Amino acid sequence: MTNLDHGKFTRVTTMFHSLLALDVFLLFFTGYSVMFNDELWWLLELMGGNTGVLALHRIAGVGLIVLTVFWITFMIIGPGRRSNFRAVLPDLKNDMQAFIQDVKFVLGRADERHPHARQFAGYTSDEVPLLSYVGKGVIFIFAVELTLLMVSGLLIWSKPSLMQFFQTKAAAMAFVVFHGLLGVIMLMGVMFHIFEHGFHPAFYPVELKAFISKDKMPHTDHSDEDHEGTGIELLTLRPSWNWAVNLGGAAVVIGIVSVLLGSIFDEGYPVPRELTIGGGPTNLLLTIGINVGVLVLFLGLLLSVYGNVLRARYERQVRAERRTAETSHSDD
Amino acid sequence: MSTDQNSMQREQMSQGVMSVGEGTRIFPDVEACIDCGGCVVACKRTWDVPPEEQRISISTMFEGQEAEKPQLNSNSGRALNQGEFPGETSFPMQCYHCEDAPCVSVCPVDSLQKNDDGFVEVVEDLCVGCQYCLSACPFGAPQFPESDDGAEAVLGGGGIMDKCTMCEERQHVGKGPACAEECATDAILVGDAGDIADELDKRDAAPAFNKEAMEIIFGADEARAFDL
Repeated sequence: MTNLDHGKFTRVTTMFHSLLALDVFLLFFTGYSVMFNDELWWLLELMGGNTGVLALHRIAGVGLIVLTVFWITFMIIGPGRRSNFRAVLPDLKNDMQAFIQDVKFVLGRADERHPHARQFAGYTSDEVPLLSYVGKGVIFIFAVELTLLMVSGLLIWSKPSLMQFFQTKAAAMAFVVFHGLLGVIMLMGVMFHIFEHGFHPAFYPVELKAFISKDKMPHTDHSDEDHEGTGIELLTLRPSWNWAVNLGGAAVVIGIVSVLLGSIFDEGYPVPRELTIGGGPTNLLLTIGINVGVLVLFLGLLLSVYGNVLRARYERQVRAERRTAETSHSDD
Repeated sequence: MSTDQNSMQREQMSQGVMSVGEGTRIFPDVEACIDCGGCVVACKRTWDVPPEEQRISISTMFEGQEAEKPQLNSNSGRALNQGEFPGETSFPMQCYHCEDAPCVSVCPVDSLQKNDDGFVEVVEDLCVGCQYCLSACPFGAPQFPESDDGAEAVLGGGGIMDKCTMCEERQHVGKGPACAEECATDAILVGDAGDIADELDKRDAAPAFNKEAMEIIFGADEARAFDL
């Protein structure tokens, strides 16, 4: 068995992932409660009301910059970290083949997925790369989106200064609109990310590899050499997966469509009035839809917390077992 | 000038405040403005506006300079619309309660609302201090007096936006906006769009804003009443 089955991230990476998720969720909840305030008035109140919500958003923005600077520094000077960059770089030939084969697989014209598409489900390291083409895409897209959101967020931090610097108000409005539109795009991506990693049949409801570091994963010592398989076959599908995946999938689709429509219907921001096509914040279905989308984010937050709870339980269990073993060993 | 001529002149010119109430518009006659600051004082005195904030301010450009064409020296509005150098020109800048208000359009939290009676109002309980209205308003009307205070100064927020109300409360009791009532040269015109257009015609003055800005302030239909 290799660490690919359940764990492929170090402790720093898993901790960073959790902190990044918490910070990004805070940015989303504060940002979207402003953007979709008609539909998410209750969230705006929870996030500090009209006088506190943007202060919280800016504090979380600084948090994101701190986390990013830490991560970049760590990737550059951390032991063995620079090699990770190679794993993220696209392998054009294989990644493209994997994508084409995935399309064929969905259409029933291929028997199995390409190795470069196998992100989960118990393959060994000599069979699949560290990151599938989907995994690489997620990292690239989130990295680019977060970078652009940070840059545009810093630029619109002080709008009077920005207007003075560019000698025009249009620059401030352009960056404001860009920041808002990119936020909506990222919201859709995060919803998909939550669904992708929260509802995989083998790991539902959370993929523990995101929370438990590979050195803490069971069986990594290869002590059970006689065991055939990678361990994936030991997992069982939870009975609730079937209805949960349908419910989660529907919520994600409704959420994505609703925030897209909401960004168009909420005239003026972030889409100019001239491009609006009707509707409005009083639309009940839109209000429900956008709330469903935000509930998907809450689900993501919940899963992140739950993953860390499972990690804490697991680590406690490992410590207890080690103590028991030490005690019995000393008794002998 | 004879007494009869003076009398005729008075009949031709109206007071700055021509009508108040629903549908009232406010608009500057830049040729009449002499940058005396009377409107600023009237506004501050009426509404106890603090020193660091100005709901109305006068922007004077090309101070001490003459227009390139002498015949346009006394008509900055016409000069600007013809693309000619206007010479010294003073603009009383305030919220014009635009028909097609960009601030209302960009406000993400609907704190800025264009009411049925034509006033653009700030709902303080909704304003998050994002300053998008500041970016959108072509006339620099939005003010953020709390932006240098406490947490706002540290975090770069704007606090709650404040701007000219066109003295809505005064208008409800039949009075004109304090700035216009106080203006010694009647440079701030208050009335419906037709009144303002007629008054500018009487004064042989032209609006100092271009067609695009006039359509924002008055809407495309009413902007046609002006000589653009």
